[in-house]
Amino acid sequence: MLTYQETKEKAEKRRELTQRIKAIIVERLNLDMDPNLITDDQPLFGRGLGLDSIDALELFVVIEDEFGVTIYDDNMEVFGSVNKLADYILENIEE
Amino acid sequence: MTVMNADEIRKLLPHRWPFLLLDRVIELKPGVSGVGIKNVTISEPFFEGHFPTESIMPGVLIVEALAQMTAVVYCTGALQAMREAEQEVAATAEAQLEPAEEIDISSRVGYLVAIRDMKFMKPVVPGDQLLLKVKIGRSVGILSKVNVAAYVGKVCVVEGTLSVSQRP
Repeated sequence: MLTYQETKEKAEKRRELTQRIKAIIVERLNLDMDPNLITDDQPLFGRGLGLDSIDALELFVVIEDEFGVTIYDDNMEVFGSVNKLADYILENIEE
Repeated sequence: MTVMNADEIRKLLPHRWPFLLLDRVIELKPGVSGVGIKNVTISEPFFEGHFPTESIMPGVLIVEALAQMTAVVYCTGALQAMREAEQEVAATAEAQLEPAEEIDISSRVGYLVAIRDMKFMKPVVPGDQLLLKVKIGRSVGILSKVNVAAYVGKVCVVEGTLSVSQRP
């Protein structure tokens, strides 16, 4: 059982990570929007954020550059949303 | 050193005058990287209009030359993979296979899908010899990133990233 303090810290860390992911997406894909307007569960591709397969290639490279986490093309669902991306990064990041 | 001369390049690529912008390949790791040469002369058709009083090779055509060099690396890589697969099949089956019909590799040249962060550091003028360096990076599905750079002598004149797709 986590204490209130621990839970709070964990939540804050998580928020930092999702903010960073959003900032990276907007910056590296040259999106003309405020990163804060992306919600954590908004789909990134198609109707969500409107990204396409060409952007996906860029995202693969960016995530690898920034977090040292490699995503393989058989788990594209990682790009489902910022939350899913954050989960994947946390699971696979080298401590 | 010549790995591939202009005639061999024409067998591999579908591009023709006035759009074949690759004279020679001097280094080649099929599917991985390569270096090519494009000699720029005043007789190039584009210098007539770009510009009438100042001859500068259009930057987009340098990008095209780099894309053509990428196509050579890509195609030779695909060709090699196909040959290896054929040999494997022949070795395991030991069957007398009909010699595979001449593959029209030029029909497999892919498409350019993105140009990113391209920088043009210095104008390229008649008399320059472009060294076209390409290195294929991450691939996702049928898309690949390619790091490209063009040099005149030791000076980098163009640098950036392309994304290319295989023909679906």
